[in-house]
Amino acid sequence: MAKFDIVIVGAGNAGISAAVTCAAQGKKTLLIDQHNLPGGCASSFIRGRFEFDPSVHEIADYGPENNKGSVRLMMERNGINVDWITVPECYRCISTYSDGTPMDVTMPCGREAFIDAMEKYVPGSRKSVTDFFDLMLEVNAAQEYMMDGTPNDSKYMQKHFPNVLRTCGYNTLKVLKAMKMPEKAIEIMSVYWPYLGMPLDQINFFHYINMMNVYVERQAVIPHHTSHQISMAFMNRFYELGGEAWFNCRAEEFLFDGDKVCGVRTSLGIVECDQVLANINPDIIYAKMMPKELVPEREKKLFAARNQNYSTKFAMVYMALNKPIEEIGIKDYCIFFQGSADSRREYENMKKLDNDYNILISYNTLIPDFSPEGTSVISFTKLFSKSDEWSKIKPEDYYKVKDRMIAKCIDDVKRRLGIDLTPYIEEVEVATPMTFARYLGTPEGTPYGYELPEWDSMLARMMDINKNFPIKGLRHIGAASFRGDGYSSTWLNGDVCAQLACKDLEEGGTN
Amino acid sequence: MALNIKVGPIGLLDMLKFANLDKDRDKVINAAPAKEITANFPINNFAKSQHPDYQKFVIDEIIDHTSAGAKTFVLKRADGKTASYFRAGQYISLKLPIGDSVVSRPYSISSSPKWAFEGKVAVTVKTNPGGFAADWMLTNFKVGDEVIGSEGLGNFCYESYRDANHVIALAGGSGITPFLSMAYAIRDGIEDFKLTILFGSRNEEAILFKKEFDEICAVTDKVKVVHVLSNEEKEGYEHGFITAELIQKYAGNEPYSIFICGPEAMYRFVQKEVVKLQLDKKYVRQEFLGATKTVWEQPGYPKEAKDKVFKLTVKQGDKEIVCDCNANEPILVAVERAGIKAPSRCRAGECGWCRSRVISGEVFVPEETDGRRWADKQSSEIHPCASFALSDLTIVVPGEYF
Repeated sequence: MAKFDIVIVGAGNAGISAAVTCAAQGKKTLLIDQHNLPGGCASSFIRGRFEFDPSVHEIADYGPENNKGSVRLMMERNGINVDWITVPECYRCISTYSDGTPMDVTMPCGREAFIDAMEKYVPGSRKSVTDFFDLMLEVNAAQEYMMDGTPNDSKYMQKHFPNVLRTCGYNTLKVLKAMKMPEKAIEIMSVYWPYLGMPLDQINFFHYINMMNVYVERQAVIPHHTSHQISMAFMNRFYELGGEAWFNCRAEEFLFDGDKVCGVRTSLGIVECDQVLANINPDIIYAKMMPKELVPEREKKLFAARNQNYSTKFAMVYMALNKPIEEIGIKDYCIFFQGSADSRREYENMKKLDNDYNILISYNTLIPDFSPEGTSVISFTKLFSKSDEWSKIKPEDYYKVKDRMIAKCIDDVKRRLGIDLTPYIEEVEVATPMTFARYLGTPEGTPYGYELPEWDSMLARMMDINKNFPIKGLRHIGAASFRGDGYSSTWLNGDVCAQLACKDLEEGGTN
Repeated sequence: MALNIKVGPIGLLDMLKFANLDKDRDKVINAAPAKEITANFPINNFAKSQHPDYQKFVIDEIIDHTSAGAKTFVLKRADGKTASYFRAGQYISLKLPIGDSVVSRPYSISSSPKWAFEGKVAVTVKTNPGGFAADWMLTNFKVGDEVIGSEGLGNFCYESYRDANHVIALAGGSGITPFLSMAYAIRDGIEDFKLTILFGSRNEEAILFKKEFDEICAVTDKVKVVHVLSNEEKEGYEHGFITAELIQKYAGNEPYSIFICGPEAMYRFVQKEVVKLQLDKKYVRQEFLGATKTVWEQPGYPKEAKDKVFKLTVKQGDKEIVCDCNANEPILVAVERAGIKAPSRCRAGECGWCRSRVISGEVFVPEETDGRRWADKQSSEIHPCASFALSDLTIVVPGEYF
């Protein structure tokens, strides 16, 4: 029988990151995935002469040489090398302010440039936006203090981080209003909200300002050759460190010795192990992959409290165009099209299949050789909040719905940018929540985890990390774990949990 | 610090709110009832039904096309459920239990997508020289036999936002099958485009699906079939091969897309003809070529490897199998011959389902069927269905679910 120190189930972002960390610490590590590729969402696929990225927008928290982010530090520590391309601007957003006036803003990176641009778009916003960036510095310092692994002293925190303590218990909208930020500035500031899946009136301020920090101050990066390049950088390092990976291998059940996990039954046989890192939504584990009597009561209550509010679902439309992007006339890497700049209204609209929200990514604007000479690749991201519209689709109508998504994207570009893409489409492919469900196996196909409402914020989940891991010998990693979703969060979450598992192994303890 | 932000009227309460985030979360959790945890989602069920690990079929009917040297096998889901829905033009990968091996073969589906609701799909298999699996099926398959198959796969389908509304199909031999499915789909109102098929056959007698196409063309004017006979001159038929002139003759003045499906020799011929039409790449689509049968003729192949037999070590999970690997055949063939159930679908280097890792040894990947991802080419990943051993090899293959 195969025997490993640590088995990692699910080779998505958290899994591959955890795998490298475990192997780097000399642990005998097995990584399994039910699909035949690593990366989960961080992958690629080929149509004709084009390679497409299924999901990447902008990778946060990498950072430049002089302001390295957590992702960069983790990758450098673990020997992960990727040729990154820096995204020069935060975003362009074409929308409608809630007072009905049109919005078309392009926000640059860097504190001063961002503040200046905001003042240009919303005269009178300078003071509050400057305050926001000052507060960001305090948040950064507080975060460093809180996450350094030592106990937190409340007196020290009150002295050094009073503004953090006074703001970070609240939702973002409330804090920005308390800072007297003009409504239009709040709406420009809120463009990134779908990256966290929750409107401003729910998402915790600490989480939001932290995200603004990594995007505005550290700048986003993207891989030169699709996310599969990143995933392979992790995998090659993992193999180099002696790790083993089994693909097309499904974890069927976790095996227990008493109340501690001692192995995994997989479609390629039983594997014994001391620790499991499970990159699977916990609800699936509790419902289908372990004895019911071992499911902790608190997890059942948590399940009820969360009310199966899984986070955002995606439909992606990928297009390869037979003209260079300059000739098509798209200049920006990332353009957000919104129906409304009011995140709450937009979130409600996302229940509908035909909502107005769309994110256009144009890879060749930053990477001229992303596709063969004379061509370009773009992708659209449509988001959906909880509703059963996708659930009702019948197989015979499925392709028509895919075509509807394509039509909507073509129409959005025509309406918002005045460009007709139809003559140029050489390849087009659509991924729906069903597609994500097929490849990721996540609830309703969300690439994300659970929603992050005020009561269940990342910060609240992180205040006592061990509460998140009530099963001995098993830690939940990935988008549904404590850190929330997204490439960076899941890489970092995988890394942290791997370190905890290694520590348990060395000390003979369990979480 | 000058900054002094308060959210609530009294800043101290704000601090308490921060400190209590964890306790407040506990309160919400504790107030909820302990509910049995379920994980049953319609979206996931949909994905599973359309993309099952495999479908088990029984052969429901065999239609003999004697003069064309072909048979149509009508497969029906063994569990009585509807089959995974597919798009006209897609193929199905069949797992054939030949001897001690399970050999996979891709076959374009020749039936209407509508049949899926009755749990049925049809594939048409034509005898061909050296066609080991085809001949095995033609000889051995009988009604009632069980067959494992995939869902509909591949992207050789009409897409209204990409293709011209008029599709000119260039078909040879059993390459007609995806176009029959498309013709049915048009007849059944599932697809909506104009399809003109230029279908090359040896002579009138050898034409596959003549009756079926005649029936379809009688009820829809969107489908037109032009038979091109290479060995026979006859009234009502084109004579010779599918040339650029012939394509232009039937194209009319509207924009058109060309779809090509047929045997390798036909690809090589019509590709040269299509080039003359100077169409944009977007308007020319081609079904998989298939892995080469003469790898030693490929550019860059080290001739000294030809005819050699290497030692192949295959790891799958914690199993390890050692077998021979003939340099002239794709590595996947050696894996199958050794009785290993390894994944594969298109067998043309393109779909990537057989993606495996080389731990040691050298391989040759012909460029024209190298469908690997960029990062895989830089790493040690190969598609064994279109990769050839140049030395003793150790590879890791993924599992397979059937």
